[in-house]
Amino acid sequence: MLTTGFKLWFGLLVAAFTAAVFVGYTTGGTETGPLTLGWKGAVGNHIAYGILMMAATTSGLLAILSQSFRDADAEAAAEILEVDIDEVPEAQIFTGSSPWPLFTALGVVTMAVGLVAHPFVFGTGLIILLVTAIEWTMTNWSERATGDPEKNHELKEGLLRPIEIPVLGLVGMGVLVVAVSRILLAASVLGAVWIATVVGTIIFLTAYFISKRPSIPRGVVQGILAVGVLAVIVSGIFAAINGERDFHHVGGEHGEHGDSDMEEDH
Amino acid sequence: MKNESTVVERIVTTTESVTLSRYWMVSALIGLLFSSVAGLLVSLERIDLSSASIFSTADDVFQFWTAHRVALVLIAVLPLMIGLATAIVPRQVGSSRLVFPRMSAFSFWVWLFGALIIIIGFLANGGVGTPDATSETQSVALTLVGVLLTIIGICGASTSVLTTIVAGRAPGISLLNIPAFSWSVLVAGTMWLATLPVLVANTVLVYVDMRGRAPVNFGSEAVVWEQLSWAFTHPQIYLWVLPLLGIVAEIISAAFKNKISNPFLFTAIGLTGAAGFGAYAQTYFDIGTPVFEEAFSIIQAFIAIPAVLLVVAFISPKIKDLKGFDKQTTTPAVLATLSIVLLLHGVVVGAVHVIGPLELSTRSTVSAQIVLTLGAGVLACMAAFSWWGELLIGKSISQRKILISGLTFHFGVGIFAVADFLVGFTGQNDFTGVSEFAAGTDGSSWVETLNIISFIGSLLILLGVIAAIATTVQHVLSKTPATGNPWGADTLEWKSKEKEEVA
Repeated sequence: MLTTGFKLWFGLLVAAFTAAVFVGYTTGGTETGPLTLGWKGAVGNHIAYGILMMAATTSGLLAILSQSFRDADAEAAAEILEVDIDEVPEAQIFTGSSPWPLFTALGVVTMAVGLVAHPFVFGTGLIILLVTAIEWTMTNWSERATGDPEKNHELKEGLLRPIEIPVLGLVGMGVLVVAVSRILLAASVLGAVWIATVVGTIIFLTAYFISKRPSIPRGVVQGILAVGVLAVIVSGIFAAINGERDFHHVGGEHGEHGDSDMEEDH
Repeated sequence: MKNESTVVERIVTTTESVTLSRYWMVSALIGLLFSSVAGLLVSLERIDLSSASIFSTADDVFQFWTAHRVALVLIAVLPLMIGLATAIVPRQVGSSRLVFPRMSAFSFWVWLFGALIIIIGFLANGGVGTPDATSETQSVALTLVGVLLTIIGICGASTSVLTTIVAGRAPGISLLNIPAFSWSVLVAGTMWLATLPVLVANTVLVYVDMRGRAPVNFGSEAVVWEQLSWAFTHPQIYLWVLPLLGIVAEIISAAFKNKISNPFLFTAIGLTGAAGFGAYAQTYFDIGTPVFEEAFSIIQAFIAIPAVLLVVAFISPKIKDLKGFDKQTTTPAVLATLSIVLLLHGVVVGAVHVIGPLELSTRSTVSAQIVLTLGAGVLACMAAFSWWGELLIGKSISQRKILISGLTFHFGVGIFAVADFLVGFTGQNDFTGVSEFAAGTDGSSWVETLNIISFIGSLLILLGVIAAIATTVQHVLSKTPATGNPWGADTLEWKSKEKEEVA
């Protein structure tokens, strides 16, 4: 009897394998290369093909694990815990609101658009999809961990928050630093100074305003932050498209003089 | 747990079936508007094809002509049906919610993004390519990706609804005891899942041809529409509107207080579903071969059998019971009856246009049949909104406004279909580009007159859609609470209340 978990992972295996072959054929693979893991010909884009094949292999392993442990059902849990089946904690099926369907859809759509637009967009979609897959899976696990929704929520928070907060913080800071650096590099020297001063002042005043009003609704704070971050990212993208300002190297071309690293910008 | 989520969080994280149903239906109405505008522009251009009025080239006409059909099926009719099923089916089978609520939410979002990509693809001179290959390849690829995404969304949502019917029924409700609408969704959804993956395969084939290298070229990149067109014409379009049979059966049964025999009705719906399977009708591979044409004609004739059965099922038990008609149900009953009338006309036109000697298989008659059939589906959804509206939006429904929208739409479809059916006999092609006009028709004043009538039909269709959107918005903003079960219907959806979900 095949378990539900096995069917899920096996389905993912088939989907990932098919996607890998599809990517192979659309990125320069030969007739037999993508089907033979590169043994008989080229597989096309190695990175995309490799990632998808890894996903297929991992799904296959998880399918075998799921089948082996019978999806951790009550009887299997009782056997592992060496207790009577009545002593196994009850699991309540709970399905509430969730952001992960939307984020998963965003990941899938970004990947699909990336197929047409640019490999970078495809990769971004793949990352979104992987992250949401982990989050969605953990959410589902935690909702069935015990019969108490509060306890389940705490379990999930305790497990995921120590990972989510540092990772999201790093990613957020990275994106903002890159975006702000693009803006400052695109502006003139004097303009960059002014931008840094004005943006810093706005951030300081906004933080001061929020700190003086502790009763301000959460939605308003979220909205202000979202608008600010969006403005920085969009400005960063436009600045990156426009390119950096002209830099005139002191002493001519690089490498001609010992002080080639010195440069003067305008 | 205390619910502290903001409005935006609630909108984007909901997995509740009625809310998702509203999302589907409102988005589908906007898709219907896009499709109707595209159809209107093509009709306007056809009035005088000797010179360009709206579009500069035949390729431009082709873009909007195909946009009209693709949007009508993938962005309007199918999501309307899924939206209805998402809200009504769980209640009808006694399930507290959809079996896979999060997959349903995921399906909606994927479909929505896919629909937007399709529209962008068409507006960016992509679409499904053009006969003279003047379209942007990148934009065509983008449109194909949009088509794939919408199909993923539709298949996911269908799977969730079907699983709810099969595995989520309350104890004691057998499959043969479920309401007619749920049965029609079961048949339709099964057939959608059987045929849409074929469309996926067609789309992937074209995409690989466009984007791949020489070793994997199947030669279909120049004939994109030929690869995909089977899904937007008969007999496949009968499948897209199949749930209308369930909608009509339920409304008519309650209006006359006379239940239609389930085995009889269910058999007829099943047969119609089987006859509507159109994935074999691949014009790219088979057009012109005797086997294909004979099979095609047989199917078209066969589909008349369940159609006749349905007429018998709907009308015969009612003739003796006309006095029992509940006048309160006038709006849904009228719209439901008109939708089945449109469908039957569509079936008849479909049967006529495959008669070999008439040579109508590529004429405007095809367009008449498509608009009649898909128009029947839209009208049935309007009837369903009139019938189940209080359950869908939780507010009181103004039946008069829905009736006006529905009648405007119905007359638009009727006028358009009559004109296109007749002009097909003059030799006007289904797709008539600017440069093809002289060769495709006799150019007589009859043709011009019929094309003007056809344009008036398109205009009425658009007005009906706009009126339906305005009515929906007005109802959503209304503060008049729902009255409960206004019809005294005895199906389970009126008696069950969906569990409130904990955010």
